[in-house]
Amino acid sequence: MDWALLGIVLVLYLVAAGAFVAYLATGRERLRTLAPLVLASAAALHALEIAGRSFAVGHIAVATFEEGLSFLAFSLAILYLLVDRANALAVLGGVITPLVAVLMGMSLVVSSGATELPPALRSAWLPVHVTLAFLGNAVFALAFATSLVYVFEDNRLKAKKPGRRRLLPSLERLDDLNYRLLSWGFPLLTLGIVSGAVWAHFAWGRFWSWEAREIWSLVTWTLYALLLHGRSVGWRGRRAATLTIFGFAVLLVSFVSVNVFFPGRHGGSFGS
Amino acid sequence: MSLRKLWLLGLSHHSAPVELRERLALDDATAGELARRLLEQVPGLEECALLSTCNRVEVVGCGDLGAADPAAVVGILRNGRPLNDEEIRRHLYLHEDRAAARHLFRVASSLDSMVLGEPQILGQVKGFYETAVRAGTAGVVLHRVFHKAFSAAKRVRSETGIGGRNVSVSSVAVELAMQIFESLSEKTALLIGAGKMAELAARQFRDRGIGGLMFANRTFDRGVELARELHGTPVPFEELSRYLPMADVVIGSTAATEFLLTEADVQEASRLRGYRPTFLIDLGVPRNFDPRINDLRNVYLYDIDDLESVIGENREERGREAARAEEIVSEEIESFWRWFENLEVVPTIVGLRDKAARICRRELDRTFGALKHLGDDERKSIEAMAEAIVNKLLHEPIARLKRVQRPDDESVILARRLFGLDDDD
Repeated sequence: MDWALLGIVLVLYLVAAGAFVAYLATGRERLRTLAPLVLASAAALHALEIAGRSFAVGHIAVATFEEGLSFLAFSLAILYLLVDRANALAVLGGVITPLVAVLMGMSLVVSSGATELPPALRSAWLPVHVTLAFLGNAVFALAFATSLVYVFEDNRLKAKKPGRRRLLPSLERLDDLNYRLLSWGFPLLTLGIVSGAVWAHFAWGRFWSWEAREIWSLVTWTLYALLLHGRSVGWRGRRAATLTIFGFAVLLVSFVSVNVFFPGRHGGSFGS
Repeated sequence: MSLRKLWLLGLSHHSAPVELRERLALDDATAGELARRLLEQVPGLEECALLSTCNRVEVVGCGDLGAADPAAVVGILRNGRPLNDEEIRRHLYLHEDRAAARHLFRVASSLDSMVLGEPQILGQVKGFYETAVRAGTAGVVLHRVFHKAFSAAKRVRSETGIGGRNVSVSSVAVELAMQIFESLSEKTALLIGAGKMAELAARQFRDRGIGGLMFANRTFDRGVELARELHGTPVPFEELSRYLPMADVVIGSTAATEFLLTEADVQEASRLRGYRPTFLIDLGVPRNFDPRINDLRNVYLYDIDDLESVIGENREERGREAARAEEIVSEEIESFWRWFENLEVVPTIVGLRDKAARICRRELDRTFGALKHLGDDERKSIEAMAEAIVNKLLHEPIARLKRVQRPDDESVILARRLFGLDDDD
């Protein structure tokens, strides 16, 4: 792995995070223009690093915990750049970019160098499964950020202390974005689970083995399914936002705890 | 010799009551006409422009102030209207030079306005400047001072948040609605009652492109009337609960002593709306809507006190921004002032050089006339020497003049007198 390149990427993510936060604090337009540009250049370099590493190990570099974190950070950055249309959405950048920087930093900290993948796992299903799962996670993380901002703004409005509108998107826009993200994230999560089951079938001869990661995934899937169903019967606004935050908390617990505390096939050491 | 001064004479809401201001107010055409008359009748006046809004009547002029009598200016401003000159003069202020420029810059930047940071004033100042240009009463100094005032105002607007916050009930209400709804074009507002403030709010919502307006009034005819005026739909007051679920924005301004809408009413309407957000604005005193409505999910209720407190915060913010705006104005004043001063020094330097060049030429011609046998080379040498002597002699005085800070500086006056620049020759 290329430490110098990763270092530059991390620094650029931190600069982008700083620019977004500074923009929200001061309202200076120049920062608003600068922040996404820095984020985009960081993501471009990051893409190079991931591509280079994947080329070196012969499969997409998402097999270890550190690679997972790095790929998640990258997906989040790209996703935010895709969503960042309206000026007021910079507030999401203010939530997402620090998260990207933290994930990236964690990835560097836990790094142990590239590991060889056991032959049993070398399959075309690996990139499919892991990419889908991480994209799904990134989408849910963005939905989570959207919901945080929603709850914050809702509280301010209820307390009769509205902030500066120029810096905050309308509640309606946030709610709409939340809905769209959920309806993207849910299929990704579903496909991630299905592809994982198929891969497991080829690798170990079983679709499902009730290990911790799988159970957590099922719990998360059920939660998001409920939420998506709820949205169609009027769970909008505040309630949808609260549930999205809860759903992501469960997802986070599942992601971290399984990787750290219950290292099975999904943990730090594959194939153990 | 004339030393130009910039001055500004006028009255505004700071100095004069509205009764006087409204009687002195001028329209565009009259302002141009009066500016021309001022130039004709006030001795020493070189340029002038008039400015008249509902808050101020002012004359900006440039010329020799010594000869200009404020009484003559007031007489022309009065323009035959039945007003007491003495009464007007008591409310007048007169600013000179830097202070005059500062006043104009502050007016254009809306720092002198009744509502700090209001955006209309810049357009009004521009309008009256154009009037002066059309009337032919604005010259090099006024062009400069007005353009500098405009650029100061633009900087103030873009670099400070002075105009960024709303300070009227209706605009704050619309602003809040825009914080809840992404766009108003597919939203419907329901007005209950026909108070003045509700009508203003309704107009504001219509101007910002609200999709539909419904009017419910106890006297149906008044509702019909308002609906016609604002292109809305009158709805029967008795069937409020039928129309409530259709409304995204509900504005109440009746004199009712009991709550028009209770928590239960709005909860039911919200359920029928599929819990889409609802924004209620209570302009009634006593209040029209039960304050507990604000506790409902996806429902936001602001009463008149809430709106006033938002306005209060916005005002404070504008006040804070005004300090930064004053700094910008000061910077722009300095840049204008350097130019204006040079305007006085420059003619002196130019005059000095012209005079020296003329003398030099005359004496050379005389010498060459007497010494006809000189060749071209010799002539050139003598010319060069004469010019060098003149330049060496003038070098020090000109260098000193260039360092002069003020147009009425002793050395400018002395230079003009010593070299006889204001004598006819």
